[in-house]
Amino acid sequence: MIAYTLRRFLALAPMMLLMTFLVFLGLELTPGDAVSFIAGPEAMANMDGSQLAALRESLGLDDPFLARYFRWLGGVLRGDFGYSLTSGVPIARIVAERLPATLELSAAALLVSTLLGSALGLASALNRGKALDQALTVAGMIGVSVPEFFFGLVSILVFSIELKWLPVGGRTRPEYLGLWDRLPHLVLPALVLGVSMTAGVMRYARASMLDALGKDFMRTARSKGLPEARVDLVHGFRAALAPIAVLIGFRLPMLIGGSVVIEQIFQWPGVGSEFLAAVRGQNYPLVMTIALLSVLAVLAASFLVDLATAALDPRVKLS
Amino acid sequence: MKKIASAALLAVFCLVLGAAPLAAQAGKTSPMADPRVRQAIAYAIDMKAIVDNLMSGKAIVANSMTPNGAWKVAGLNGYGYDPAKAKQLLKDARWDPNYVLDVVYYYGDQMTVDLMTAVQAYLADVGVKMTFRKLEGDLGSQLWVPPADPVNGPSAVKWDMAYAAVAALSMNEYYDRFIPGGASNSHTPADAKLTELIKATHAIDLGAQKKAFFELQKYENAVLPEIPLYYQQVFVVQSKRLDRAGAPYGNEQFNYDWNIVKWDLPKDASGKKVLKTNGGPVSFFEAPFLNPGLFMSTKVLFDHLVVADASLTPYKGQLASSYKVSPDGKTISFTLRDGIAWHDGSPITPEDVKWTYEFSAKVPTLNAVFGSMLKALEGYQDYKEGRASEIRGIAIKGRTVTFTYATPDSNALLCFSQFPPLPKKHFAGVDPLQFQQAAFWQKPVGSGPFMLKEVSMGNYATFVPFKQYFGGTAKIDEIQMYPSGESDPNFSKNAAAGQLDYGYTKSVEDVLALEKLANLKVTPVDIRYTRLFFVNKFPKP
Repeated sequence: MIAYTLRRFLALAPMMLLMTFLVFLGLELTPGDAVSFIAGPEAMANMDGSQLAALRESLGLDDPFLARYFRWLGGVLRGDFGYSLTSGVPIARIVAERLPATLELSAAALLVSTLLGSALGLASALNRGKALDQALTVAGMIGVSVPEFFFGLVSILVFSIELKWLPVGGRTRPEYLGLWDRLPHLVLPALVLGVSMTAGVMRYARASMLDALGKDFMRTARSKGLPEARVDLVHGFRAALAPIAVLIGFRLPMLIGGSVVIEQIFQWPGVGSEFLAAVRGQNYPLVMTIALLSVLAVLAASFLVDLATAALDPRVKLS
Repeated sequence: MKKIASAALLAVFCLVLGAAPLAAQAGKTSPMADPRVRQAIAYAIDMKAIVDNLMSGKAIVANSMTPNGAWKVAGLNGYGYDPAKAKQLLKDARWDPNYVLDVVYYYGDQMTVDLMTAVQAYLADVGVKMTFRKLEGDLGSQLWVPPADPVNGPSAVKWDMAYAAVAALSMNEYYDRFIPGGASNSHTPADAKLTELIKATHAIDLGAQKKAFFELQKYENAVLPEIPLYYQQVFVVQSKRLDRAGAPYGNEQFNYDWNIVKWDLPKDASGKKVLKTNGGPVSFFEAPFLNPGLFMSTKVLFDHLVVADASLTPYKGQLASSYKVSPDGKTISFTLRDGIAWHDGSPITPEDVKWTYEFSAKVPTLNAVFGSMLKALEGYQDYKEGRASEIRGIAIKGRTVTFTYATPDSNALLCFSQFPPLPKKHFAGVDPLQFQQAAFWQKPVGSGPFMLKEVSMGNYATFVPFKQYFGGTAKIDEIQMYPSGESDPNFSKNAAAGQLDYGYTKSVEDVLALEKLANLKVTPVDIRYTRLFFVNKFPKP
């Protein structure tokens, strides 16, 4: 186990280097740079070449591509993520301010989708071919097909604007003091994101449970005289959990990257909306840091999935 | 035989005549250099139909760069839709039907694409082929690079027509960009008459200035150095519970005397008068040297030396108790009010004023009008090039700051009504090249009627009345600013949810959505905002 963990972590380094290089290269190939965003076309029209050059130099944009990449990488290795080219705020501070919002929203959505998806998938499998199963299958198809932005807008229209039950957006308000005050802001985006993700979990859970229901050990459990509910939930559902855990594990990076669409629609000040703004503004230190964290999250999630699979399925050995 | 020879000679003659314009289009001159072509394009496009349908009537058809109003001469040709006339003009100009106009734009909205599609169809109807493309990346280098030779070219940009907007602070901003060799003149070769007319508009005397603009507009209307399309209005949106205390509706994109201190609204459940608005900061507060009044935060945070009326004409002191302009326009003196203070309680001093305008001279991202005003100051060049530690043309005597100009600038007073003094002590060690990135813009300290109370970037910012404000304490207890802007669906969404007491937009989509809300009043205001085609008249390399 220790040797496996060590090997996985050693493999992380080259993968991360490659990913960060590719992201940096992608930004480099995008037309324009941060100066064209900061100044805008009208201001640039009134700036002479030397002013533009001085501005680029002050932001460190005049160096060659590789020099800039390795300067950024060197900084990261020393724990210095640089500062935002547009606001001058240290990247570490921006991430520290934005990440809690994304974690809050994504964790709530993951919780909703996991609980709801697993429960509905289980119910669907246990009622295979019946009306409930068919209804849930149709609902699942709709859930997979309807884009989350549409679902978000309809929810705002109904619950915020028409019924006025929940706030229209934002994470907090000036007069709010704690999490309890802020909770109404979280409900709608978390439910929209969670329900959008539920359909996938539900379909996966159904298929996995149906697979488990046909296994020999289920027949053995029944032959031992165990109640049907215990057979289904303890024996069947536990075996069905491994593939579900894989799916949920691969959604964990969302905790870091956030949902750009939902954060935009609900004016949620998280990492996703900041990332979008950074990409538009060619704010490479911020883009790179968020990309780095996302890559780390993906690799960590993959590792966690391996561990979870081994824990849930005795046939899987980590080696 | 003689007949054959004559016919042959005639054929050669016709060939030469016919080929000449084509040869010209191939390299020596631009096909767009012929005014008849530009006139034909203006006649070919039915702007009224476009405004009525595409913009739902929320714009005004343009016949000049200058918007309608006191600064525009009467009787200009409107170039109403007349495809037959367009065809005739193109025929007279020997337009090559195989030439494909390259039209560029940089807006990302659907309406721009729809407009380009409509224009393409109108031009096709009169035999002009056109393609259009959105520019990405470094726009300045694709749009506004002047050619090395401002008389003959060749062009340093690739396009034939660029769809753009001019949001002018001063009237001169519309036309100065046509002066040969200017930093943004990538499109118009030297035209002695045009240059002379533009220069005349810089007269210090208001009457002479207006007369010069009238003459310029007549020439502009005749030769069409650009093709004006439509004027955008700004739409002021306010909740029906807000009382503006009779304040006029002006150009909300700049600063004018809107008397926000007197604005009032009913108390909410908590017993406070809270005004909710948009434009809250996402990651920083905008510095006011490029767009001095575009953002609500700069409007309420900063006062200016003088204040302008709703038509942007400076008319009385603000931070200055009095001001004096010399008859030749070369000297302007401001005497600061006694007892005025920054929001941190420290006094506003003449040194703050002098420092602000000296510092701003080294900030690269400056508003064009502001930059020109600074350049006209005595000793500007020595200071800019490091030969002097301060600008000779800014002097302090007691509480009076005097600005002396090497050449009078007709927009100087206007600039002092828009670009505010800043507190010097908060900018110690700040690199002018990274002005916007200074820590100050995370929590700015201003001089206006409201001071920043709290900010949560991307969430909200709150402002409370500044008790030491010389103009009295505002009636509103708190301004809450939430981050949404023009053409942002969150703007109308917040308004529908009752989260908007005041805001403004130029977006037609926003206006159409907001007009449907019963709790809001939408007021259109004419502003200096012209949409047009810049026409590249230089030959392509």
